Amino acid sequence: MSQFTQQVILGLLLGGVYVAVALGFSLVWGILNIVNLAHGALVIIGAYITWVLFTRLHIDPFLSLPVDALALFVIGYALQRGVINRVIRAPLLFTFLLTFGINLVIVSLLLLIFTGDFRSVTPAYSGSGLHLGSIVIPYIRLGGLAAALLLAGILWVVLNRTRSGTAILAVGADRDAAQLVGVDLRHMYALTFAIGAAFAGVAGGIISTFQSITPTAGDPYTLQAFVVVILGGLGRVSATVAGGLAFGLIEVLGQSAPGLSSSYANAIAFVVLVVVLVVRPRGLLGRLA
Amino acid sequence: MRGRTFAPVLAGLAVLLAACGSSTSGNSPTTGSTLVFGAAVSLTGAQSKEGGLTKQGYDLWLDWINARGGIVVNNVKHPVAIKYEDDQSNANLSATLVQKLITDEKANFILGPYGSAATASDAIVAERNSIPMVEANGAAQSIFSKGYKFTFGVLSPANKYLTGVIDMAATPNPKPTTSAMLTANDNFSVEVAKAVEDYAPSKGMQVVFTKQYPAAAPDVSGLISQAKQKNPDIVMNSGHLAESIAINKAAKQLGLDAKIFAYSVGPSTPDFISALGADANYVYDGSQWTPQVKYKPTFYLSVAEYVKAYKAKFSSSDDPDYHVAESTAACLAFQKAIENAGSLDPSKVRDALASLDVMTFFGQIKFDSRGINTFKPMVVEQIQNGTHYTVYPGDVANGAPKYPTPSWSSR
Repeated sequence: MSQFTQQVILGLLLGGVYVAVALGFSLVWGILNIVNLAHGALVIIGAYITWVLFTRLHIDPFLSLPVDALALFVIGYALQRGVINRVIRAPLLFTFLLTFGINLVIVSLLLLIFTGDFRSVTPAYSGSGLHLGSIVIPYIRLGGLAAALLLAGILWVVLNRTRSGTAILAVGADRDAAQLVGVDLRHMYALTFAIGAAFAGVAGGIISTFQSITPTAGDPYTLQAFVVVILGGLGRVSATVAGGLAFGLIEVLGQSAPGLSSSYANAIAFVVLVVVLVVRPRGLLGRLA
Repeated sequence: MRGRTFAPVLAGLAVLLAACGSSTSGNSPTTGSTLVFGAAVSLTGAQSKEGGLTKQGYDLWLDWINARGGIVVNNVKHPVAIKYEDDQSNANLSATLVQKLITDEKANFILGPYGSAATASDAIVAERNSIPMVEANGAAQSIFSKGYKFTFGVLSPANKYLTGVIDMAATPNPKPTTSAMLTANDNFSVEVAKAVEDYAPSKGMQVVFTKQYPAAAPDVSGLISQAKQKNPDIVMNSGHLAESIAINKAAKQLGLDAKIFAYSVGPSTPDFISALGADANYVYDGSQWTPQVKYKPTFYLSVAEYVKAYKAKFSSSDDPDYHVAESTAACLAFQKAIENAGSLDPSKVRDALASLDVMTFFGQIKFDSRGINTFKPMVVEQIQNGTHYTVYPGDVANGAPKYPTPSWSSR
């Protein structure tokens, strides 16, 4: 029983990482209708910033998260305004091509700057955890989950309680109508993408604390963000949280299913995804478009 | 502009040098055509690190052989060029590039790529074109089970990677009796793990937990917490660098204590120590080669000279790791086989490779009927105070294993 509880806790902790990664992805997809294939690369930029600050200036990885957010906000704003805005109303395939290309460029740049060496952020407390009987909760993973939930809270407040957030939602609901009532579309597009990128950066900072990073380490996260958004549903912060936590749980419990190789964990996760799509096409908590 | 003005000067110099060379002695070798080796290695993508090490190993030999004028065939010195292509860590792309190297770049011979998957697809191309390939970075035996005649591997096969650790574990008294075996689900890793599961019981060790995980899994804490339930004396992982780092981190976080932690690939690279710091201590790995081994080579460099040459060429303070050494060894196998064949004919060189038997700084190179070098042993390394020590087998070791590994809480 305690083993099961342990697995559930580990699943939720992993789910927290998926929440952090998927929040920005979901925002950009929901509002701009762009499936950002460069999302994983943005995540890894954040991870490298945390790594540089940790190794050069000995800044705690959790304290560097705001720096990740700020840096990626700027990068995201410039990227949208300068490049992605050109295909904002183009068919989905063009945005796929463009963001795929951006992903390649970023990964290659990271490879030039940081080489393919494995980098790791290992603060002093990285090995310790909370012991509750036979159950262990690593502090660093707990911190990651807390940061992810905090991010979700911030995003909810920004979208629902600020003027810019309302404008972003308006753009998502109907671009032309939003423009008619005076919303500066180009700024709002860039702002949305910048927030998405900032969240990706923070997710990268969290990831660097438990996983060794390389320029290509972000690629799987793009796929995972995609699955989380489908699973949870588009258009709501709570849906992304539910989708992320559910996906983490499915993966870890799938791994521990007796008699099953954990190679099936991915297969199980995707079977669940297909079932959700069939039974509940808008996702666990998503709104119908 | 500069190039144009210097070109005639350089050409003149070359003629002058050639003239000096030929005037010194009547029967010294003359210079023949350039031999082209083709290699598709991973310079970008997920395996760019290992691919880069492979290229370093090839380039190290390239400098050495060209400093000597090239490979001597029937008293003619053939300078060597290596044409590289980047397979972007994509095994399917690798085969296409090797074909391109053969048709467009007119490669005489093929040096292997990085990784078992790419090697397996390149072997098909080598076979189809009847061009010999010597590879140094694909240890899965499945590559050699298809009856190919033109592919040779200088490294010990996958099934030997961790069995040395089992042999070593059987020496202390009382010895560890239970082990957990985690493995990534790629061909190579599964072969390594399967061999351990078959071999451990013969040494009185029971494998109490086995689990496969998808290669490049970022989070392994679920697996580690399951392994912890079984309380194994030995924790082994068969995977790659990223996974070995992740497993070591998760073992500490979740308090999985074992007497031996041994990982097939990863701990031998400097990245493992820089990523984990003091937590890397006590970890064992099975290694193709270490800078401490004591082989007596009959040609090329000694082990110490090799390490020195590596550090000088790449301005590195780190020792070369085994990926570099095995890649150099592949070049040495080619060099010796071409010399023995006394011909550049691909099928004659192929036959010379099949009958090759030489001792190098990397160990003995001799191929069995499948083309695998089953004659070289694997060595066991342990990280002690941030430094690699070769701890098994005793005759090539430069340190004693620190056993048992202390618990995480008492370090």
